[in-house]
Amino acid sequence: MESLLSGQLLFAALVLGGLYALIALGLNLVYGTMRLLNIAHGDLLMIGGYGAFWCFTLTGISPLLGLPIIAAITAGIGIALYFLLFRNQLSSGKPIPQIEANSLLLFFGVSVVTQNVIALAFSATPRAYRYLDDVYHIGQVAMTGNRIATLLISLACLISIILILNRTMFGMSIKALIQNRDAARVVGINVERVQLTSIALGFGVASVAGGLVSMAEQISPFMGFPFTIASFVVIIMGGLGNVFGGILAGFLLAFIEIYAVALTSANMRSILLYGIFVAVLILRPQGLLGKARQS
Amino acid sequence: MLKKIAQGLALAAALSLPTAVQAADTLKIGYSIAKTGLFSQAAPSQVNAYDLWAEQVNAAGGLDVAGVKHPIELVWYDDESDPVKSAQIYERLISDDKVDLLLAPWGTPHHLNVAGVVEQHGFPMVGNTAGSVAIREVEPGNIWFPTAVLPDRIGPALADMLAAHGVKSVSIIANVLPFSQENLQFLVPALEKANIEIKMNESYPPDIKDMTPLLTQMKSADADAVIALTYPSDAFLYTGQAKELGIKTPYQFLLIGPTIAAYKDAFGPVADGIITLGHWTPKQKDWPRAQPFFDAYVAKYGSAPDYLDSALAYMSCEILQQAVAKAGLDHDKLREVISNDTFDTINGPVKFKGVENIITPSAFLQIQKGDMELVWPKSIATADLIKR
Repeated sequence: MESLLSGQLLFAALVLGGLYALIALGLNLVYGTMRLLNIAHGDLLMIGGYGAFWCFTLTGISPLLGLPIIAAITAGIGIALYFLLFRNQLSSGKPIPQIEANSLLLFFGVSVVTQNVIALAFSATPRAYRYLDDVYHIGQVAMTGNRIATLLISLACLISIILILNRTMFGMSIKALIQNRDAARVVGINVERVQLTSIALGFGVASVAGGLVSMAEQISPFMGFPFTIASFVVIIMGGLGNVFGGILAGFLLAFIEIYAVALTSANMRSILLYGIFVAVLILRPQGLLGKARQS
Repeated sequence: MLKKIAQGLALAAALSLPTAVQAADTLKIGYSIAKTGLFSQAAPSQVNAYDLWAEQVNAAGGLDVAGVKHPIELVWYDDESDPVKSAQIYERLISDDKVDLLLAPWGTPHHLNVAGVVEQHGFPMVGNTAGSVAIREVEPGNIWFPTAVLPDRIGPALADMLAAHGVKSVSIIANVLPFSQENLQFLVPALEKANIEIKMNESYPPDIKDMTPLLTQMKSADADAVIALTYPSDAFLYTGQAKELGIKTPYQFLLIGPTIAAYKDAFGPVADGIITLGHWTPKQKDWPRAQPFFDAYVAKYGSAPDYLDSALAYMSCEILQQAVAKAGLDHDKLREVISNDTFDTINGPVKFKGVENIITPSAFLQIQKGDMELVWPKSIATADLIKR
């Protein structure tokens, strides 16, 4: 019980929460603005992980410095996919459930192709590298350098995007599109521009998360699926398309994961995590902040 | 000009003639592998060993089939990590592709599924990367398993090793996936029999993302040894977070993970002292084929082989090669030779009783100054077990 009050668990929960929130953020932006269900989201993390790995092992450049380049590349992939696969869907006037169903299938294909292209290009052999792996102590709390970097960069990305969404006209346009596509178009918002920016931002942020993950975990072409599941759990719990709800849910799930395991048993982790997820959906089917946003 | 064309044609004919003869004699050796899907990250270490072996055989003039050398060609299909598909592929390899010999797929479920196909066709196949007591339930005669990583042998061997080094208490954490749980099932009674106290015994799900609470509890338990029945991804998680939390337990055992090259890439000197499952190392001088295999693998692929899967895959090729040299391709003769002979492999001598290798002992490796040393049992050890 004493350990519950320790900073060590708090640090672990914050790192995990920041990562969950960041991973889910990109998925939420893409779903919120376009209603596209990106089942290939975890594969973007994988691409980010490989980008950071090759950046560091081939050139010796810090993976942290390489993150903007990696984000730009995956943003470019997002834009390309938008024009190739989704632009016509979105402008066809199809009902939202059909767009969601079509996007799920299309992204499934993208996921399979991405995984296998990476496997053929780099082999499926797991890769890893050492970076910022020294341990620092603040009081009683031990922190590995790459976990500190993960926390700081996650928070910086989350805060930046919150500020963009709340303080800029463009961010307001994204929020407007998330709330009501037709109304956004009526009030003169350039919907295509917002959609393009959202998919670029969503893909870019996901690859940044992948770069951060790669500093502490092995990477392989098929590492993405658990992250896709985690991000869907987070955004559904937070309220589909609700960026702030997703961030809140990311931290909430991380705190449950760390503290509930500390209170009970690691074996209970999935039961508690998904049990609370289901309970939230029973009590609030629209997610934690879903109703508040809709009203 | 005409003379030059005629010379060119003659040269082309001369070059193509032996190729045509060679192609007629080429033996096809088939297998299925998890090239894509969930298990695909485990497969390259096995495929690399197969490719290296085939390259070496061809470079030496071909596979000796009862005194006559034939070039070999590997024929493989992606089973997409699906054991059912793997069985279908072996059916196709035998019935449609009419392969001359078979190599094994990756993983226990795939082996068990394929066992029925080879049994039905009476087609001998030497297995490799399967590790479960369930292999003993397979009908003997057409499939053999050179592995020594069988849970009912690992548990008692691990308890013996720890007891011999004065360990009085352990903390156990175990992934809930089958291989970890099967090992746990045999480990606990073995520890109890060796009078080793189990201070903590916790299982965790495979998608665990942070072990801080678990390892905090483990640190408080303050046992003499840690036994983490890991799969590769949680072996990485454990090692990074155990370092962060300053877990300095003198003996730390991780089930699967430390034998893959990426583990040492990720942790460098921090990995020193970690003990893991494995019965092969190139450092064992009594196995003269071991170091040349290691060197050839590193030269071809630029990284060390997996001490478990690559070694087992290569061993299975060596056994097949020696059996074919003696028996030829006749299935009955081949079955007879594999079942009764002793084979010289990179892992020393191998002899089967039923489906099981009865010579190679269950053993453990420890990372010492970046090298993998065999530390248990004493009969094949290359170094003493040391505290971290």
